[in-house]
Amino acid sequence: MELLIAPLAIAGIAGVLAAFIVVVDMVANNYGEVTIDINDGKKEMTVRGGAPLLVTLSSEGLYLPSACGGRGSCGACKCKITSDVGPHLPTETPYMSPEELKDNIRLACQVKVKADIGIEIPEDLFNVKQFNATVKSIKDVTYDIKEVLFDLGDETVNFEAGKYIQLVIPPYNKIKGSTQRAYSMSSRPANRNQIEVLVRLVPGGIATTYVHEHLKEGQKMDLIGPFGDFRRTKSDSIMLCVAGGSGMAPFKSMLNDMLDTGELNREVWYFFGARTTKDMFYMDEMKVLEEKLPNFHFVPALSEPQEGDGWNGPTGLITDVLDSYLKEKINSEEKVLEGYLCGSPGMIGACNNVMNDNGVTQDNVYYDKFA
Amino acid sequence: MKMTPELKKARENMDPGVITAEGFLGSDTRSLSTIIDEDAQLLRSFEINPADLAERLRHFMEEGRKGLGEPVTVDSDWLVKTDEARGHLVCPWEDGIFRKINVTVERKDNGEKLFFTDLSIHLLEAHGFLEGHGSSFRLEPESIKKILK
Repeated sequence: MELLIAPLAIAGIAGVLAAFIVVVDMVANNYGEVTIDINDGKKEMTVRGGAPLLVTLSSEGLYLPSACGGRGSCGACKCKITSDVGPHLPTETPYMSPEELKDNIRLACQVKVKADIGIEIPEDLFNVKQFNATVKSIKDVTYDIKEVLFDLGDETVNFEAGKYIQLVIPPYNKIKGSTQRAYSMSSRPANRNQIEVLVRLVPGGIATTYVHEHLKEGQKMDLIGPFGDFRRTKSDSIMLCVAGGSGMAPFKSMLNDMLDTGELNREVWYFFGARTTKDMFYMDEMKVLEEKLPNFHFVPALSEPQEGDGWNGPTGLITDVLDSYLKEKINSEEKVLEGYLCGSPGMIGACNNVMNDNGVTQDNVYYDKFA
Repeated sequence: MKMTPELKKARENMDPGVITAEGFLGSDTRSLSTIIDEDAQLLRSFEINPADLAERLRHFMEEGRKGLGEPVTVDSDWLVKTDEARGHLVCPWEDGIFRKINVTVERKDNGEKLFFTDLSIHLLEAHGFLEGHGSSFRLEPESIKKILK
């Protein structure tokens, strides 16, 4: 009996302390109902305080972009806070420019809603929805890129070509929580019941591994969107589009949209880079678009063509091909040149330099900087 | 090596869902200090110098980035592809943030592959940490020896 006294006493003390912590937590962290004012009165929501702003907004059906699901590692969920929520956290500052720090731009996943709060977000985000879609088809377009078509059922999506959607990857294998990743939509906006994306396998990548190895036709998956600022301008400027791999997606959508909306005569040069013919795809689709859009020029290029590829087109890095076309083939004397880029930050930086060196002003280069 | 407060904090940060969804330890149940100690011995047994290895991996990453997202041949014998995703990752030791750059190095003669990230190079260089067994980005000394020759 005596042996049990000490453990029982310790267990009792621990129990009392745990109960005390629970009570203190309930009192100290009970923020009650708080109000979120969005865009100076455009929208207002009353919510229970205490959770991160990103989570609070999404629970009310308002979705900010997020590529990491609120882990503070992507820097995508930026929004302006117009009320005092304390200084920037060390987890936020690496993602902020000096101007953003001055303007009180914050990461919504890092700011807790503890009192009434005012925020400013792009009005486009009011149109973002969560879809419970069904995987209609999965096709291999290359050995490492899959074209995934989702059916939205009775739901419809309204988007401009160039925008992206977030796939909500459910927990699988060792991955305990759900994860979100952004993919440009390759579908035509006129097809409002379906969303298509291109997913290139990244070894070790959580979302791409799931799509390539686990996702099945007929399966349900949550999608959130549309997001992004990438879209073509409403002008007659010459479009210089550059992509490689799954960066094809927004341009497939834009070109088909031009067809659907009767924007048939705009001059478009599309430079698509791949290593070998094994990495090249949609050649037939691009050929059909060239026939239907008289001023559309598709310029595929291979950086390392192999013997037996039978390749007669341009070779070299896509930046070199772009540079030579800008110097020798594209006449921009009468029209403004606009750059449209989709790819990794490195690819975007390199293309930006080539464009700037050839007289395309930075203001006229558009991109969404994600892979 | 003892589990110092810094190691304890780093170990907590390595759990799934803290910095990355998968975490850094895979199925490894050894303590972090044991993993680091045993992997240092393993590297020595394969005659791999961590500083030289870090330099080599950085070389592959930088050369691979020149492919602008497409695979590119590096030093004749390897095909290297780098994928850059949006955002950054914090080191579990909280001593730096790193771009999400995934690198695949493939031997052209037999197709064997090695995966690592920008952060893997820092973990090796600054902390002697190769990630746990079963982690997608573990720098397995035996594979390194075989693939990088």
